[in-house]
Amino acid sequence: MYPKEMEKSIRKVEATREERLHKLPERMSEKERQEVLQKWHPDYKPEAKRKLKIGVSKGSIVPHEVADLIEAYPLIKPEEIDLSQVDYDVDVLIIGGGGAGTAAALFAYYNGIKPENILIATKLRHGDANTMMAQGGIQAADKENDSPIIHYLDVIGGGHFANKPELVAKLVMDAPSIIKWHEELGIMYDKKEDGEMITIHGGGTSRKRMHSAKDYTGMEIMRVLRDEARNIGIPVLEFSPAIELLQDDDGKVAGALLYNLETEQYYVAKAKATILATGGFGRLHIQGFPTTNHYGATFDGAVMAYRLGARLRDMDSVQYHPTGVAYPEQIVGLLVTEKVRSLGAQPVNADGEQFVHPLEARDVEAAALIRECYGRKKGVVTPTGMQGIWLDSPMIDIIHGEGTIEKRLGAMFRMFNRFGIDMREEPILVFPTLHYQNGGIEIDAEARVLGKNNVIQGLFAAGEVEGGVHGKNRLMGNSLLDTQVFGKIAGINSAKYAKKAKIGKLSLKHVNRYIEELRKAKIKEERKAPIIFPDYRGEQVLSRAIDIL
Amino acid sequence: MQLANIQGEKMEIAYYPGCTLKTNAKEFEESTIEAFKKLGIELKELNKWYCCGTVYSLATDNLMYRLAAIRNLIKVKEEGYDKVVTLCSICYNTLKQANLMAQQDEEAMYKINSFMDEEPDYHGEVEVLHPLEILKGMEEKIKENVVKPLNKKYAVYYGCLLLRPKEVAIDEYENPSVMEKLVEMLGGSVVNFPFKNECCGAYNVVSDREAVVERCYRIVGNARKNGADAIVTSCPLCHFNLSEMQKEIKKTDFVGLPIYYFSQLMVEAFGGRKCKEK
Amino acid sequence: MQRKMKMVRIYIMGKEYRVPEGLTIMKAMEYAGYRYIRGAGCRAGFCGACATVYRKEGDYKLYADLACQTTVEDGMYLVQLPFTPANKAIYDLEKIKADDKTLVNFYPEIARCVSCNTCTKACPQELDVMDYIQASLRGDIAKAAELSFDCIQCGLCALRCPAEIVHYHVAQLARRLYGKYLAPKAKHLEKRVKEIEEGKFDAELKKMMKKSIEELRKMYNARDIEPEEEMPTESD
Ligand SMILES: Cc1cc2nc3c(=O)[nH]c(=O)nc-3n(C[C@H](O)[C@H](O)[C@H](O)COP(=O)(O)OP(=O)(O)OC[C@H]3O[C@@H](n4cnc5c(N)ncnc54)[C@H](O)[C@@H]3O)c2cc1C
Ligand code: SF4
Ligand code: SF4
Ligand code: FES
Repeated sequence: MYPKEMEKSIRKVEATREERLHKLPERMSEKERQEVLQKWHPDYKPEAKRKLKIGVSKGSIVPHEVADLIEAYPLIKPEEIDLSQVDYDVDVLIIGGGGAGTAAALFAYYNGIKPENILIATKLRHGDANTMMAQGGIQAADKENDSPIIHYLDVIGGGHFANKPELVAKLVMDAPSIIKWHEELGIMYDKKEDGEMITIHGGGTSRKRMHSAKDYTGMEIMRVLRDEARNIGIPVLEFSPAIELLQDDDGKVAGALLYNLETEQYYVAKAKATILATGGFGRLHIQGFPTTNHYGATFDGAVMAYRLGARLRDMDSVQYHPTGVAYPEQIVGLLVTEKVRSLGAQPVNADGEQFVHPLEARDVEAAALIRECYGRKKGVVTPTGMQGIWLDSPMIDIIHGEGTIEKRLGAMFRMFNRFGIDMREEPILVFPTLHYQNGGIEIDAEARVLGKNNVIQGLFAAGEVEGGVHGKNRLMGNSLLDTQVFGKIAGINSAKYAKKAKIGKLSLKHVNRYIEELRKAKIKEERKAPIIFPDYRGEQVLSRAIDIL
Repeated sequence: MQLANIQGEKMEIAYYPGCTLKTNAKEFEESTIEAFKKLGIELKELNKWYCCGTVYSLATDNLMYRLAAIRNLIKVKEEGYDKVVTLCSICYNTLKQANLMAQQDEEAMYKINSFMDEEPDYHGEVEVLHPLEILKGMEEKIKENVVKPLNKKYAVYYGCLLLRPKEVAIDEYENPSVMEKLVEMLGGSVVNFPFKNECCGAYNVVSDREAVVERCYRIVGNARKNGADAIVTSCPLCHFNLSEMQKEIKKTDFVGLPIYYFSQLMVEAFGGRKCKEK
Repeated sequence: MQRKMKMVRIYIMGKEYRVPEGLTIMKAMEYAGYRYIRGAGCRAGFCGACATVYRKEGDYKLYADLACQTTVEDGMYLVQLPFTPANKAIYDLEKIKADDKTLVNFYPEIARCVSCNTCTKACPQELDVMDYIQASLRGDIAKAAELSFDCIQCGLCALRCPAEIVHYHVAQLARRLYGKYLAPKAKHLEKRVKEIEEGKFDAELKKMMKKSIEELRKMYNARDIEPEEEMPTESD
């Protein structure tokens, strides 16, 4: 079901397939990697970024889209908010109902907090989150030929040595026990008949340690954690995002201001400990890229925490996944999981030629694809003018036997099949897409959020919203792991903290201070944040929209 | 019932298990399959089958409740068979009645066929059989296979679902004799048993357990009084009620009896596993 | 590059809008001016937030699909179903058993299934929904888990079922029972967890954490990579 022009190129791909089955391009040397990144990776374009004008991380370089939200005014006027009437009063408030948030809630419960004293507030439904979408897998060094040490080296090297060592240490050492916990909860990891986990490589791994549940790994984890939270009876407020954090009079974090998207009223949620688990920022469409992320991935958590003095780190680097859908138009930007390459599909250009090893680290792979299209002009052009590279998916069944695609890549197969493309028979077209927030709010190994030169009391963070774990580049399978490991740590430590904490009078003074800072920096009052959702309404409609109700 | 075409040396018939056979009556399934194998008949479980829909289907005119039965019959046809055997009396009754409807009620079948537009049309082409019906035509073969004749006395218990309504009865519906004949062919003797087609209480076990226990007391007690060493049945529900409810009888004069499926007796007589003494 | 936009008519809850052809229902609704609060989650076919039912002109059938994964057609009448009322059984997985009665005990209504197959026809994932309910009914947990694995819990089956079954909750329990009790345990995992608890890697990890970037870089570039058995290469 490809247009004729594209079919012609597919014939060339088919012609070279047999030969390609037996050889792979060399992996790049350090020097080659640097070259292709410098010249072709979107992150290496200085004009796409600027220095932050205000706040704790003033002077650090971030994408314009991020700076726009940091340098934006709050949605509320603090003086209009009545904090004396408390709607929810809990021990642990968790902001964000994805994988990190739900794991945190469960571990807060395991560590002695009663379900009714926990509250998850989330923007969409419980589980409508990036976690639900993760396909490929989760890393853990649990095989004989592997070890947490080797995992450590992979993470650090993959992150260009910019990671925080103590966070990486936690990540790799806790990984096996997380998978074990999952097994006990009944998560159906792919296993061999004797129970051995089926594990494969991911980009940048030196051992096969990617555990998966078909290509619905995140969904399987998410739906089981959610089911468990429901069994325990942990309350969840859906469609009620946090729009600002709260402090008490001596500066401890004391909950959040929530906003009921349907009734448009605010709630005061007071909490002894607060965990930020709001995920990433794909829906900011950095540099105009399409994204793989869910609808609510809009950087809210970091915006709120920054106003309160939280440090940001590694926000200069953005992860573009090398393989987003480039055709058909309806699903452009959606993820083609790395597992497609792990299982043997090779990237090839319009002439059917190989040009890069399929499993370079993500940034290198993405840059190589962009170079092939725009540098060497060997991309495939779609009817809408988009460029793409073939991923030769039929190779998978040739290598692993008929039925592999349907069985192990069911989600991918289904997605393309819905639009009339059978990836068992024909290759699929891909191009890099905005995927992951590498950096974020800085935490310590206890998942406590760090301010300018101190720990911010009462605030914890886990998952994609925090930075430091992955340095400048996250490897596949380490972020699901991140959500679980740091979700667990945040859950445990928030429970400990909440048992002792005493909350004073609630306040929004930090928001007032931030507004002053914005004004001092002469930032005009034209942008507000957090944005909660992107706005995709048609231009025609927006140009005539008025607000009267 | 003519079964001329089941006389061959070896043949395959589609086998519809039903849910009960997979949960509460596994020994009925195993023994039947084994006994039939000896007789040269392979019972092949359908690749796809659905709960027959029983509980509701018997009580209402609502066509919705016939879908399950018809869908199963369509699967039989689709998988290339023209006969299907089912062991459970409830499933048998439901499938057989639905099949009758399929053969006779054109209007109903028009509706059902157009509702199930994803399936091929069905008009009653498949034959629904109970194993006892098949055994009726196989006297020779059965006798040939007996190596360890039974030498006990049995009370034969049919229950009601294989006999009522009479259009679907596997035998003379007021005075059936197929199981008696079978027991005798296997070398056992049959005691007089007036309760043989009395209802066991069926699903009342859920709503009025006491009544079912009482009924069980009468049925089992009578069999014993008439000299039986065991009761033979053909229905998983009867089996369940008679064997489980016995345990709840508190009267001191009561001594229980083991309950067997007819197929277990066959296996025993054919030299296989012996029936458990209780 | 410039394409002439061909427009199609769609009816959102009965109101006509003209939208460019080739959009998904989700994007078409946004083009028409709707801004989602409910009804959109992952936007990629994984979360089940965007369940939609529609009819086409001149066709009696009621179709069910995902707004984010379905292309608009001219003359489509549609509405999204942002929520499915459904009761989930509450259980402590540690305390229940995976036997052939477990599913029907927690969800006795599965015995009401009349095999109408409506659920299967409604499923946007094209799962054999009726089959997994039937497997649940006869206590075949492994089969129910396998057949339902790709369920995104969109609720369309449950909204259409005349027997008022909540399929996806039944399936969730089946899968957890399977994962916990029926799937074989990973022994190497248990072993590694124990090794870590016993501190086997602590000393080496400490050393690693103290290494300079230069040392690490050297180690990283020299690390040996486990070969792909299926695809022998000379290059790694
Ligand atoms: C398509 C895709 C595929 C991926 N594949 C993999 C993979 O194979 N392996 C891997 O390891 N990683 C993968 N990732 C990355 C990984 O899934 C995510 O990084 C991780 O799941 C993030 O989890 P989280 O809990 O931090 O955030 P999320 O799962 O995104 O959860 C955050 C939640 O917070 C909510 N929220 C946002 N703002 C607010 C607010 N203001 N108030 C309240 N709630 C809010 C969000 O709506 C969401 O529900 C993938 C990501 C995507 C998008
Ligand atoms: S829709 Fe309900 S009644 Fe019909 S087949 Fe599915 S589960 Fe059974
Ligand atoms: S089984 Fe039901 S809930 Fe699951 S995807 Fe299909 S229709 Fe949706
Ligand atoms: S929005 Fe998640 S499935 Fe459509």
